[in-house]
Amino acid sequence: MQASFTVNGTVRSVDVPEDMPLLWILRDKIGLMGTKYGCGIAQCGACTVHLDGIAVRSCQVRAYELDGAEITTIEGLGTPDTPHPVQEAWIETQVAQCGYCQSGQIMQAVSMLSDNPSPSDDEIDDVMSGNLCRCGTYPRIREAVRLAIQKQGA
Amino acid sequence: MQSLFRIFMPVFVCILGTISWADGDTPATISAPAAGSVTPAEGLAAFDRVYEVVSHPRCANCHTGPDNVPMWYGDSAGPARPHGMNINAGQSRIGVETLICSSCHRTSADLRSAPHAPPRAGLDWQLAPVEFEWFGKTPAEICAQLSDPDRNGGRDWMGLAEHLVDDAGHFGFVLWGWNPGGGRDPAPYSLQAHVDDVLIWGVAGQPCPVDTN
Repeated sequence: MQASFTVNGTVRSVDVPEDMPLLWILRDKIGLMGTKYGCGIAQCGACTVHLDGIAVRSCQVRAYELDGAEITTIEGLGTPDTPHPVQEAWIETQVAQCGYCQSGQIMQAVSMLSDNPSPSDDEIDDVMSGNLCRCGTYPRIREAVRLAIQKQGA
Repeated sequence: MQSLFRIFMPVFVCILGTISWADGDTPATISAPAAGSVTPAEGLAAFDRVYEVVSHPRCANCHTGPDNVPMWYGDSAGPARPHGMNINAGQSRIGVETLICSSCHRTSADLRSAPHAPPRAGLDWQLAPVEFEWFGKTPAEICAQLSDPDRNGGRDWMGLAEHLVDDAGHFGFVLWGWNPGGGRDPAPYSLQAHVDDVLIWGVAGQPCPVDTN
């Protein structure tokens, strides 16, 4: 099928099987490698992107859902010169260890702060528990979210 | 031959892994027994089967109480346990306060899913209204809830049967209960048998069992 949608502000049109996951469209068809494959069954959150402004697991979004959609990936969040405040907070807190899950963590955190600019620690845990980190960086993730809240002026 | 095709076509399609039916058809039909034709004993027997369905994990796991926590398993996969990842659907019952259910459970008429992957349905994934708490409830408690319009969406027994057929017609959770994909145990009996049992129970006057303990 032909699917036309926007990725990070650029209109894309791809010819793919209708049940192809968005994750593979992003990585294999469009060449955006920042979104990671972790489990393929929405158990880990590594592949989180924004679809029409909502955090979703891209391994579960199929091509037939994409026509007209607006997708944001980690590459579209900020730039190396002007990172998103959440990316700034992640860097200043030095959250990442191996880093593999962190693009999904950041995309989920941005979505959370968009909905709730000043979440409590419990609310941070409720939202971020779907994003696993085998390096165990959870304390620094929570610390970075708190810093991002300050940076965003909540 | 054409009628045979219409009868068996859904079976063939299910074998292929996709559920479909022709325009104008419905996934189940409503045909109530004549008034006065069902004894209270037959009505109670029908409710016993209704209870088997609504207390099955495919149904009860998302009919949980005011803690707003969906359940996993409770079938051949193992004992029931709270949904992993600390999931809480919030008072919205659809997760907007925390992580919206459709972040993982996509809305799609394609009910297929991989083992252990989040199932999908044609309606936005969500917990049932809290008044419909079925998980861990007794037959008498569930029968009382289903009989109470203040706690069942304002429905009489015919309204309950129509709700089942309407939800299934949208590839919703009712249809999913018998087509859960991913190697999950389906609800017992069939959608049509369940609709028929609700109608039998209704015509019998909605008799309810009495809890013995």
